[in-house]
Amino acid sequence: MASDKELSDFLKGVEKRAFKRTVYAVRDDDAALDIVQDSMIRLADKYADRPAAELPLLFQRILSNATMDWFRRQKVRNAVVRNFSDFESSDPDEDFDLLEALEAAARPAAAEGAEHSVARAQILTAIEAEVARLPDRQREAFLLRYWEELDVAETAQAMGCSEGSVKTHCSRAVHSLARALKAKGVQP
Amino acid sequence: MNPTFHLPTPPGAGGRVAHDALEARFGRRLAARLTEGSEALPHDISERLRFAREQALERARASAVPPAVPAAAAGPSRGGGGTGFWWRLASVLPGIMLVAGLVLIEMQHDDEVTRTAADIDAALLSDDLPPTAYTDPGFAEYLKDSGS
Repeated sequence: MASDKELSDFLKGVEKRAFKRTVYAVRDDDAALDIVQDSMIRLADKYADRPAAELPLLFQRILSNATMDWFRRQKVRNAVVRNFSDFESSDPDEDFDLLEALEAAARPAAAEGAEHSVARAQILTAIEAEVARLPDRQREAFLLRYWEELDVAETAQAMGCSEGSVKTHCSRAVHSLARALKAKGVQP
Repeated sequence: MNPTFHLPTPPGAGGRVAHDALEARFGRRLAARLTEGSEALPHDISERLRFAREQALERARASAVPPAVPAAAAGPSRGGGGTGFWWRLASVLPGIMLVAGLVLIEMQHDDEVTRTAADIDAALLSDDLPPTAYTDPGFAEYLKDSGS
């Protein structure tokens, strides 16, 4: 059973990322705050007796469900379905070398900086804009996998899909982000 | 020439692993940037999140405390039976008393009916007139006439 301090530390550590993730999905700060608060209370109400190690996955699941509930209440099911369908057609940037972009972006931080005139805040803004632009399922998979640091199996469980789907969503998200950021001249 | 977008196909399993590792590195780097951004949330949002967290913790504390049982409601607790036994006994006692009362009333009623029947029989048998006389139509007619 998670102690009071463990639950408090967990919520404190996750609340800001949860808020940002929800804002990406619902694009409304107030709604995102309500959803995060509702998720925290649900977690504390029903699962406070679970071991601390189980809290991250439970919370992600609750947050995803709460976000979906919000969409249902907003009667934007069609928009959700549209965003959730990740069947993409042929890529518009046909001559884009993804591997080159990924390698350039993944170089150590020492290699970046001097030649880039874009300020740190502007880079962040650009990254956030591109993350927000991802299809919902891709964004959810990407953020759970790399931001919340869940493994593939946990991400699949939180999203209610197969591990293969998670890998596909993550890969597509990374490729889209790399391509979009390269087009903007942004090197994260 | 028709250039096509494609991820350079890895030559084998090793290439696939390296490619996945590259994706993961890129993903983690972006996530680190996002973390920097999330740390710098506006004050009012941070405060609302803190308030939400405290509310959730209050709920968790409230649900963790077992409901208090008043000492007076615990009842007598003696011997091996414990509080539960006495509570169960106290709850079924009124029912037992009700059933016992109904049985007693029924028995008293039966006794009364029996006693009345016995009195009538005794009166009939001890009378000068034999009981069979009451079945005689002439005697019945006589009783009717004398009654009127």
